[in-house]
Amino acid sequence: MMLKTAMSYLLVAASVLILGWGNVAFAGNTGGLDYERALWHPLHFKPAIDEATNEQCLSCHQEILDRKVREQSPAGVKAEEALAWYQTLHTYEGPQMTFHQRHLTGPLARQLMNMKCNTCHQGENPREEAPIPPDPTNTTFTLRKQVNPEICLMCHGAHPFKVMGLPGPWPESRDNFQNNCLLCHAGIRTNRHQVNFLKADAIEEAAKKEGDVCYGCHGGRQWYRIAYPYPRHAWEGMSDEVPEWAVGRPTESNPRFRIQQGEAGK
Amino acid sequence: MAEQKEKDSSRIKEAVKRRKRETYTPVKPEMQLGFVHNNVDCIGCRACEMACKDKNGLPPGPRFRRVQYIEGGTYPDVFAYKVNMSCNHCAEPACLPTCPTGAIFKRKKDGIVDIDSTLCIGCRRCEAACPFGAPQFDPMENIVKKCNLCVDEIDAGRKPYCVMACMMRVLDIGPIDRIWDGGLETVAVGPHDEVVRQVKNMADIELTHPSIGFVAHSKGKVK
Repeated sequence: MMLKTAMSYLLVAASVLILGWGNVAFAGNTGGLDYERALWHPLHFKPAIDEATNEQCLSCHQEILDRKVREQSPAGVKAEEALAWYQTLHTYEGPQMTFHQRHLTGPLARQLMNMKCNTCHQGENPREEAPIPPDPTNTTFTLRKQVNPEICLMCHGAHPFKVMGLPGPWPESRDNFQNNCLLCHAGIRTNRHQVNFLKADAIEEAAKKEGDVCYGCHGGRQWYRIAYPYPRHAWEGMSDEVPEWAVGRPTESNPRFRIQQGEAGK
Repeated sequence: MAEQKEKDSSRIKEAVKRRKRETYTPVKPEMQLGFVHNNVDCIGCRACEMACKDKNGLPPGPRFRRVQYIEGGTYPDVFAYKVNMSCNHCAEPACLPTCPTGAIFKRKKDGIVDIDSTLCIGCRRCEAACPFGAPQFDPMENIVKKCNLCVDEIDAGRKPYCVMACMMRVLDIGPIDRIWDGGLETVAVGPHDEVVRQVKNMADIELTHPSIGFVAHSKGKVK
């Protein structure tokens, strides 16, 4: 019996070693694959993509960090003089970058985020051919390329001012609240930002200095017309009654984003 | 003169300050044009894609129109249908506010969302923001381009190239309200067909309210 258990431990250890080496070997070997083979590489699909490291992704896709925006548009608009609506928050600094750089290597990304390639990317091109049979509950695959917009929605959704009971949208209301989210949200708060792609402590610190930091991801960088239905983690002093707008919300983050033991505090 | 200049510059500064930290308010068009596509009768020949590439002079890579294949089932109960999208000229486009140079705009007249690629610096934000994959990156020029519903053809009173190229006549355009309520006279929609706004595996329409209607396949219907 003892021997059997020991054997199975050995087996596990051996497979971990082999797999580990496989990964290391992979990081250096992709150059040899032709485009079609690389496209259908298992790393581009579940479950392998969940374990993919940034190094593995970048070994083929380094250009996403190296690429630069044009210094000026074909008609001569200078990149350094351009600013999008949502880039007018104080938290936006530095020159125009590509969105990949803004999410991975930009100043705010370094300060507050801990994003990995597979935080957003959950598959490759073949998502244009939907999984079989088509299933709306399979939210990781949508009929578009590369990323499910529901992931973007977490930080690029609308500011739910009606849910909060504010008289108007935040740009109109903020002066009444001294542009300070913590005026109310020091007390009314769920277990915030405890996900593996954000630096929760750094966000709390930054929010104390400037409300625009909060607003940035909660309406200020709005792409979409709805707000993300964040999971409703219980907090101390939370009322037992669930308000109408929160009915049916999960109470835990998506398993993919939960902080694994040993990862906390990073 | 100097006084006037001073006055102007202070006014400009004030306006800039006011505009700071504002989110954008979408243009409300007088009439919204949109596509209608019959998922069932489309044979997936991609003639629309090629006509589009031809008209817009696109190199390999960017595809303004994308015919997406959905196939599945287990023999003998198998199925195949197509969901065909270009730009959905959304009521509240996500691409538009992401553009740092103001290259993307929505026409008041007919709600067409267009990108003036000569103003594009190639940051590819719009490409990321679009839930339907409409903006297409042109690696040769390092700029983003997209479907403009053949705005020149529209202004000339004709239909876009993709619609004209469709040999099955499953693709058409029209005022989107009439497409949705079934009032548009078009051969793309059969006499007993119902036009829906959402099909399976398509991003949530509440994100941007895309101006597109489908005749959905029985396996692609959303309850």
